Amino acid sequence: MEAVYIDKNIELVNDCRKGSRKAQFELYKLYERAMYSAALRIVNHEAEAEDVLQEAFLEAFTRIVDFRGDTTFGLWLKQIVINKSINCLRKRRAEFVSIDGVDLPDEISGSDEDLTLRVEEIKAAVRLLPDGYRVVLTLYLFEGYDHEEIAHILKITEATSRSQLMRAKMKLKNNMEKKGARDEY
Amino acid sequence: MSIKLEDFIKENKKAFDTDMPSGKLWDKIDAELNKKKQRPVIDLRLWAGIAAAVLVLLGITFVYLLPAKQHHMTVADVNPSYAQKQLRFAGLIEEKRDSLQIFAKANPELYHKFSADLEKLELAYDQLKKELPASPNQQLVVKAMVKNLEIQLQVVSQQLSIINEVSQYKKENSI
Repeated sequence: MEAVYIDKNIELVNDCRKGSRKAQFELYKLYERAMYSAALRIVNHEAEAEDVLQEAFLEAFTRIVDFRGDTTFGLWLKQIVINKSINCLRKRRAEFVSIDGVDLPDEISGSDEDLTLRVEEIKAAVRLLPDGYRVVLTLYLFEGYDHEEIAHILKITEATSRSQLMRAKMKLKNNMEKKGARDEY
Repeated sequence: MSIKLEDFIKENKKAFDTDMPSGKLWDKIDAELNKKKQRPVIDLRLWAGIAAAVLVLLGITFVYLLPAKQHHMTVADVNPSYAQKQLRFAGLIEEKRDSLQIFAKANPELYHKFSADLEKLELAYDQLKKELPASPNQQLVVKAMVKNLEIQLQVVSQQLSIINEVSQYKKENSI
């Protein structure tokens, strides 16, 4: 099943190289959801995520001759999307350096089980995170980057990446608890 | 809890990809792709323009650079064997001046005088260098330049031995 899926992509990619608009559209349809979601998680702004996506697809289609097939087309495209998303955030002058002095509540254990882990809930809580936290958390948890890669891509130190992730997770949990508490009343 | 949350996200990554861009986005991409298709014509003209500009620039540089090159004439252009001597002398002078510098701290006023002497010679050398491109007898100028360096070398050697003796004397007297 999986092999068929990959083969289909290779054919589409090859057709794209020849400039087939139909193949481009099919690739776009295949990836629009995953790529838009990834961009949205980073930039946290629908219109900007769409701009990022447009730029990313255009770049992918014009640079497709450079795509050597070392990775899958999806991973290659994802990298373009993530880079563009981070550049977009940079333009907004997001602060990636560690934010000291942010009040973080002590971790409360026990209430953990009370939290229902639902996708929409997590997504809503992620969207509430400050840019710096959200990006590190997104890259680590959703995109599977390690701290070395995050440090490289965001031009921060690995230690900062680690501390940002830790703070982000705490804040995320806090956000979800607050939301949960509100729902109860 | 944070471990659970992490696992939940990692295991359900796909479930989080629920957001869709608006349907108009493809139309925008499509329009941009159409624009790009038409670009080669412009590109060709652009490249032709760049090529022309480069040619003009090259022409200008040649016209200006050729006489400029004569301005920056070196000894090697006139007499290669002198150039070798020049290089050797210059290296030795540099070396001895470095040694001289070491004694400078112990004998600041002496070093100052020595530097002034060398400066005079250097000035003369620079003057010769300036005259070289326009000179009717370049061989003579080059010869003078090398002679100047030779004198500089002798002077600096003598200075070095003097300063050496002086500091030796100072050392013995201080003990």
